[in-house]
Amino acid sequence: MKNIAITVFIVLVVIIMGLYLVAFQVRQTESALVTRFGKPVREVTAPGLYFKLPAPIDHVHRFDSRMQVFEADLGETTTKGAVPIIINTYVVWRIAEPLKFLNAVGTPKEAEVKLYSQITDTQNRVIGQHSFGEFVNSDPEKIIFEKIEEDMLADLKQTVSDEYGIEVKTLGIKQLKVSKDVTVKVFERMKAARSLKTEATISEGEGQATKIKGDANLKSSVLLTAAEARAEVIRGRGDAEAAKHYKKLEEDPEFAMFLRDIESLVKILKERSTIVIPADSEPFKLLKEVPSLKPKK
Amino acid sequence: MVEEEKQSNNDLQAQAPDKSATQDLDTAGKSLSEALRISFIVLKVIMVVLVVAFLASGLKTVGSDEQALVLRFGKIRGIGEKRVLKPRTWPYWVFPYPIDTMVKIPVEKKVDLVIRSFWYYQTQERMLAEPSIQKTRVLPELDPIKDGYCITRSERQDKPISGSTGSDYNIVHCKWKLTYKIDDPERFFKNVYVKDVKPGDIYFDVITESIMPLLKSLFEDVIVTAIVNYTIDDVMYEQVARLTEHIRRLLQQKLDTIESGIKVVQIQLTDKTWPLQVDEAFKALVTASQDRQTTISQAQTYAESTLNETAGPVAEKLFVALQDDTISGDEKELLWSQLAGKAQETITEARAYRTKVVANARANAEYFQELLPEYRKHPKLVIQKIYQDAIENIFDNAVEKFVIPTGAEWRFLINRDPSLKPKTSKGQTTQED
Repeated sequence: MKNIAITVFIVLVVIIMGLYLVAFQVRQTESALVTRFGKPVREVTAPGLYFKLPAPIDHVHRFDSRMQVFEADLGETTTKGAVPIIINTYVVWRIAEPLKFLNAVGTPKEAEVKLYSQITDTQNRVIGQHSFGEFVNSDPEKIIFEKIEEDMLADLKQTVSDEYGIEVKTLGIKQLKVSKDVTVKVFERMKAARSLKTEATISEGEGQATKIKGDANLKSSVLLTAAEARAEVIRGRGDAEAAKHYKKLEEDPEFAMFLRDIESLVKILKERSTIVIPADSEPFKLLKEVPSLKPKK
Repeated sequence: MVEEEKQSNNDLQAQAPDKSATQDLDTAGKSLSEALRISFIVLKVIMVVLVVAFLASGLKTVGSDEQALVLRFGKIRGIGEKRVLKPRTWPYWVFPYPIDTMVKIPVEKKVDLVIRSFWYYQTQERMLAEPSIQKTRVLPELDPIKDGYCITRSERQDKPISGSTGSDYNIVHCKWKLTYKIDDPERFFKNVYVKDVKPGDIYFDVITESIMPLLKSLFEDVIVTAIVNYTIDDVMYEQVARLTEHIRRLLQQKLDTIESGIKVVQIQLTDKTWPLQVDEAFKALVTASQDRQTTISQAQTYAESTLNETAGPVAEKLFVALQDDTISGDEKELLWSQLAGKAQETITEARAYRTKVVANARANAEYFQELLPEYRKHPKLVIQKIYQDAIENIFDNAVEKFVIPTGAEWRFLINRDPSLKPKTSKGQTTQED
């Protein structure tokens, strides 16, 4: 019984050691290449457990298949129309074909050297086909910045995939600049544009204020006119109501007018008046003589 | 017989040492056997302990802010949602290494990434100085190597500036902050490069540090790409929310395209300024904008005050109602009833006039009717009485009275009434005597 257990134990140990010699894992984040006496025999891009002949016959080369970032240095290039711009391009890449990568590139460090050269070529080629006005323009509809990046990606993707077994996942311009001298000119133009805008702002404010005041005056005038019209109607109604009472005066219009004249006279000469009157008028003729009065029978 | 006995004794003498040797061997064998038995027991215990420890090493926990993947021989185990292990109160069991490996990904933690690449160059000393000092000693240009900035489009000019073209642009400095989290642990693990964790490293810090170059590049790319569609005023004041949303959308698209499993939580424009080289011109516009606002505010105050003085709070509504024929008469009357100010004064005066004129007319008529019977009886006397009373009243109120003889010629030099004030306005003649 003991012997069986020991035998099983030993067999297990031997199997495990044997598996270590002939099996290998490829992780989800890796791809691998199996070489036999240095000659590639198998490319493994799917994760899992695989078998090989023991070393030194077979050898497994592992590659990280996750995305890596590489950015080229800030460099000058020219657009269509020979406008110099300074850009910094980056790529996100991964090893897609281990065999091609191993043969053409070797290591990730060497891949970056190759990518740098290819990025420079791509950016000169693609950007040279587009004018600066397609990067930035006062008319937003003429800006095709994203399309230029897509063109660069398409250009680079094909080249590095075919030649190096590298898949470029994305590419972009992370810095867009101009030279020192150009910034000075840009500042001059910005100042001029600001001055124009400052003037426009001031005059626009004044214009708006004038309009607001004008509108208010107009509204005020319209309202006062409307109020005056209503007042006129009210006064008219008053006059009409008053006229009803005047009908009562029709019994003796002459006397009524006399009374009205007397009332007016008193009102007119009520304050600060100077009166010049002939001495023979009533009652001042009393100043000259005593009247001769006789009682009526 | 004697010989047989001797032989027998010799045999006995020869057998005695053999027996004792056998007995020694049995004792040693027994000891060895016992030792081996104990060793086997110990070995068994050790093996059982090792097997238990080996199996126990497969017990794994997933933290509350984590999700986990199990790799079986390097390949993610499970189907669909079961591929991702969520936090729970009891541990998971997986086959110990090298069969299974558990990879934990922090998914709940939100991480900030600050971008200063678009800010002008500052020494450490200058960065810590007061803002007023930070903006002094400015060079006339920007150095593309040292200084960071973004290019924005210029505005469409109705009145073109001399020398400008459609590709005119402005320069703006800005600082950004990206807040992100890992949203899809499987995609993140499969596609995003993370450095190997060394002893002493904190796994979360290693992840953050590893993905920083990728996120920084993508974030800077979308900022540059998006911002060319905006003017400097959009960036400074008017369209910040739209710009940040634009950048968030572009960045998320990029992250999804590369299947990063990262989600953008928030994008913030933390600081922005126009180039210091054009500070004066931009400040002049800010001042002009403030002055413009002041002028407009004053005009609005004037308008409100004017309308209020004219018709009170109801002025605007009444004005609109007067222009709108669709508003009913009742509604208009309601507004008229709420009138105030000068318009109300005008109407009040008219009402007073109406009351007065009717009252006067009534009083005159009543006076007339009271007097008429008497007048009809004694017309001359009544006329005379009324006349005399009036003359008395008039002369009583007169300041100066001149009774002059008839037929004589009189000349009066009449002084101006001292209570009348001369008109002082320029261009107007004073009232002459």
